[in-house]
Amino acid sequence: MKGHKAVKILCLLLAVIIAATSCGTGTSDTSVLQYAPKEEDRLVVYTSHKEEVYWPIIKEFEERTGIWVEVVSGGTNELLTRLVEEKDVPQADVMFGGGVDSLAAYGDCFAPYFCRDWVLLDYTMRSIDGLWTPFSALPVVLIYNTKLVSPGQLTCWEDLFSPAWQGRIAFCDPSVSGSSFTGLVTLLQAVGGAPDEVLQAFAVSLDGRQLETSGEVLDSVAEGTDLVGITLEETALKRAAAGAEIALVYPSDGTSCVPDGGALVKGAPHEKNAQRFLDFIASTDVQQRMESEFSRRPIRQTQTQTADLLPLTDIPSVNYDISWASENHNKVLMSWAFYFGGGEEA
Amino acid sequence: MKFIHSFRTRLFTGFLVASLVPVLVCSSMLLQIFRLRLDSQVDEESQEYLSQVTESLDGLYTGFRQTMLALRASPYVAPALAREQTKSSRVYSELYSATEGSRSGAQFDLYDSQGTWLYSTRSVPPGTRLPTQWGVLYAARQTDDLVFSQVDGGEGNTAVLLRGAAQIPLTSGQEAGYLVITMTRADFHQLLDGKYGSRNDLLLLNRYWRPVYSSKTSLAASVAPQLRQQLLDGEPLRLEGEEYAYRAAVQEEMGLYAVLQHPQAMNQSTRGLLTTVTASSVLVCVVMSVLMCLRLSRQMFLPIQRLHSAISEVVQNNLDVYIPPYQDDELGQLAQRFNGMVAALKHNQEQLVENQRELNEAQIRMLQAQLNPHFLCNTLDTMKWISKINQVPQVAVMSTDLADILRFCISPDEFVPLRREVEILQRYMEIQSIRLSGRCRFEVALPPDLEACMVPKMILQPIVENAVLHGLEDTENGVVRVDVRSDETAGTLKISVTDNGRGLPPEMVGPYVRRETDGRGHLGLYNVDTILKKYYGDTCGLSLGCRPDGPGTVVTAILPLQKEESHAESTDCGR
Repeated sequence: MKGHKAVKILCLLLAVIIAATSCGTGTSDTSVLQYAPKEEDRLVVYTSHKEEVYWPIIKEFEERTGIWVEVVSGGTNELLTRLVEEKDVPQADVMFGGGVDSLAAYGDCFAPYFCRDWVLLDYTMRSIDGLWTPFSALPVVLIYNTKLVSPGQLTCWEDLFSPAWQGRIAFCDPSVSGSSFTGLVTLLQAVGGAPDEVLQAFAVSLDGRQLETSGEVLDSVAEGTDLVGITLEETALKRAAAGAEIALVYPSDGTSCVPDGGALVKGAPHEKNAQRFLDFIASTDVQQRMESEFSRRPIRQTQTQTADLLPLTDIPSVNYDISWASENHNKVLMSWAFYFGGGEEA
Repeated sequence: MKFIHSFRTRLFTGFLVASLVPVLVCSSMLLQIFRLRLDSQVDEESQEYLSQVTESLDGLYTGFRQTMLALRASPYVAPALAREQTKSSRVYSELYSATEGSRSGAQFDLYDSQGTWLYSTRSVPPGTRLPTQWGVLYAARQTDDLVFSQVDGGEGNTAVLLRGAAQIPLTSGQEAGYLVITMTRADFHQLLDGKYGSRNDLLLLNRYWRPVYSSKTSLAASVAPQLRQQLLDGEPLRLEGEEYAYRAAVQEEMGLYAVLQHPQAMNQSTRGLLTTVTASSVLVCVVMSVLMCLRLSRQMFLPIQRLHSAISEVVQNNLDVYIPPYQDDELGQLAQRFNGMVAALKHNQEQLVENQRELNEAQIRMLQAQLNPHFLCNTLDTMKWISKINQVPQVAVMSTDLADILRFCISPDEFVPLRREVEILQRYMEIQSIRLSGRCRFEVALPPDLEACMVPKMILQPIVENAVLHGLEDTENGVVRVDVRSDETAGTLKISVTDNGRGLPPEMVGPYVRRETDGRGHLGLYNVDTILKKYYGDTCGLSLGCRPDGPGTVVTAILPLQKEESHAESTDCGR
C-alpha cells in the first residue's frame, strides 16, 4: 500500500513538473493588443462577392471611416443559412452580396434600413420596405460559345427548350447560387404558362446536369463543354472582355434585372457602422467606381451610363416580381429539385 | 519472497524519488531560466530592430513632409498645376530641390486637380490618371496633411505598394493639384533591408492591419490576415504550428504598423534537445535506481536470507549452524550475535543432558544401595538363627535388633511416626547395653497422644548415639532419657535427650552451631540439625543445654507438631 502511494505521489510530481515545463513555453507578447480597435470601430461583413469586388470597397470604407472591417466571404446561400443559425446571437452586421430576392427570402434575419441616398436610387431597384439596399443591377443573360454556336441560333428563353441544346446547357444549381435562382425565375416569367410544366421541360433540356458554382457556367461555355449558359450580364461581360469565346444574348422575350445588394442584420452588434456601410455601397463614389472598373450597372437614378453597357432601357424586360420570387423561393426550389431529379418518372 | 518484493519496490521507489525529483526540478528550472533568458534577449533584440524600422519610417515621413511643405511654399508649383503657367523646367527644378534627400527612396509626382499626371521624379507613362473620387486623392482632399493609402500593386519589385498624397493649394486657397508619393517594393526594400535582422521577417501593415509590404511575399498573403484576425479577436499574435513570435510597433503619421516576425527563442529543436537531455537523464536515473536497488537489496537480503535459513535450521533443532562472517556492518554483527546465541544454546542443551545423566546415575546408585542392605538383613536373620541354634542369645538379640534397624534405615519412607522412631531407639539401646555390659539405662517418656507424631526418619538415633558415646564415656550407671513434649500453642514438638554424663563445655550451650573443631565426633548432631533445618526452616533444629538437676547434657530437637494424617501438608507449611 505504501509503495503504491509513493508511486502515485511520484507520478503526480512528474505530471506537475512536466506540465510546468511545457505550458511555460508558449507564451506570447500581448502588448500588441493595444493596437486592437475599439468595439465601436468594428464591422463584420458577410459577403458573397468575389474578393476583387469587395476588397476595394472594404478598403476605401476603412480609410474613409476609420472602421475596421472583418470580412467573412462565402456563397450567398451558405452565408444566409449561417445568418439564420446565428439569429439569436448575430455575429454579422451586414450581409453584402446576393440577389435581393434571396435577401428578401431571408427577410427575418434583416432589419429595415433606408440608406441615406434612398430617394436617389432607381425606383425599380429599391426596396419599398427598406429591407435591403441595392448595390448593382444585374440583368440575367444567355451566353453561347462563339465557335460552336452561330449568332442567331439563341435569341430568347424559348430557344433553350430546343433539342439542339439538350444536355449542353450550363446552369448552376439554383439552391446553391442566388443568380441561378434568379435566372430560373426569370425563365418561368419570360416563358409564361404553368411554372411546373416549364420547370419540367427545362429539366428535360438540362438532361440531369447542373454545375456546382455559378463561375463554372462561364468556364463550361468558354471551354465548349456546354454550348449555351445562363448567367449574369456582369460576369459574362467581364469574361468576354478577358477574351473568352463567349457572346451575350439579351433574350428577346425579356429578362429580369434584379439587383444584388446588402442588408442590415437584425440585432447587429455594430449597427451604426453597418448603416454607414450600406450608405457607402449605394453612394455615388462607389457606384461610379463599380461601373467604371467592374462593368457593374449602377442603381442610382442620376448615374450616367458608360458607353460599354447597353442602356437598361434597351433591354427587353420581364416584369420580375421580387416579392413573388422571395415568397416562393423554397417552393420553386423544391419543385425544381423534384423535376430535376427525374420526378416525372416516379 | 513477498518481503523482498515489497522491500525492493520500496527501495526502488525511494531511489527513484530521490534521484528523479532533483533531476526533474533542476531541468525544469533550467529550462524555464533558459527560456526566460532567451526570451528577454530576443525581446530586446526585436525591440531594437523594430525601433530601427520605425526610425527609418520616421525619417522617411519627415522627408516627405518637408517635400510637401517645400512644394506648397513654392510660388511656381501650384500655378503650374492649375495650368496657369507652363514652364515645366522651373517646376521640375522646384520638385527636385524639394525632394532632395528623399528622391531616391520614393517617386514624387505632381497631379492636377482632375487627377491627371503632370510631373514626376521618375518616368511615368503620359496620360496616367488617378481617380479623385476614390482612394488616396479623395482622402487627400479631406485633410490638409499627407495621407497614405495602401495599393495592391501586385508582385515584382516595381509594384507600387504605398501611395501618399497631399493637396497643393493655390495662394487663394483653391486646390491646384496634388503631390503624390509612390513607394514601390524596391523602395521599401532599399529603406528597410538589413534593419530587421537576418533571421527575422518584417511586415508593414496599414492602419487597419492590411498588408502593405513584407520582406517575404508569402507573409503578406498568408500571415497578415491571420494576424489581423487574432488582433481583432484579442488573442496574442502567433501562428498555429509555426515557431515564430511577433512584435509590433507603429509609425503614427504614416499609419504604418511594423510587425516583426522572429523565430521563437525556444524553437522546436532546442526544446527537443532539452527534452532529450532531460529524458536521458531521467532514464539514467531510472537505470541507476534499478541497479542500486538491486545491489543494495541483494547486499541487504543475502545476509538476511542466510540468517533466515540458519534460523530455520535452529527451528529444526540443528544447533551446528554457523554463519561465516563476511562483512563488518550491522548485519555482520547480527550474524555474529546469532552465532554466539546458537553456541550458548548448544552449551545449555549439553549441560542439561549432562545433568540428566548425572541424575540418572544417582538414581541407579540409590537403587543399588538399597539392594545391598537387604542382603545384610537376610544375613543378620541367618546369624540370629545360627546363634539361637548355637545358644548364643546376645548375638541373636543383637542380630535381630541390627536387622530391624537396618530395615528401618533402608525403608523408602522419609517420615515415620514417633512411636516407630522410639522403637528403633530401643533396639539401638539394646545393642548398646549389650556392648556396654549394662552400664547404661535407657528411659523414654513419650505421651501416648504424641506417639503418632510424624518426624523425619532416624533423627533421634544420632542424638542418642552422641549421648552414649560422648556423654556416658567413663560413667557408671549412665542414664539416657528421651522426653517428648509438645507445645500446642506454638505448634512445636520438643524431643530432648538427656544424659547424666560429664556435661558440656559452656561455649556450646545454646542452639547448635557447627564448629571447625567438631571433627568426626559431632557429625551425627550436624546431620540431624541440617535435616531439621532443611525440612522445616531455620526456626527448627537442635539446641544444646546442661541438665538442670545435676551433671549431664540436654540435647533438644525442636520441630513442628505434625500428626500422621496431616503429615503431607504440614511438612509443606513447616518449611
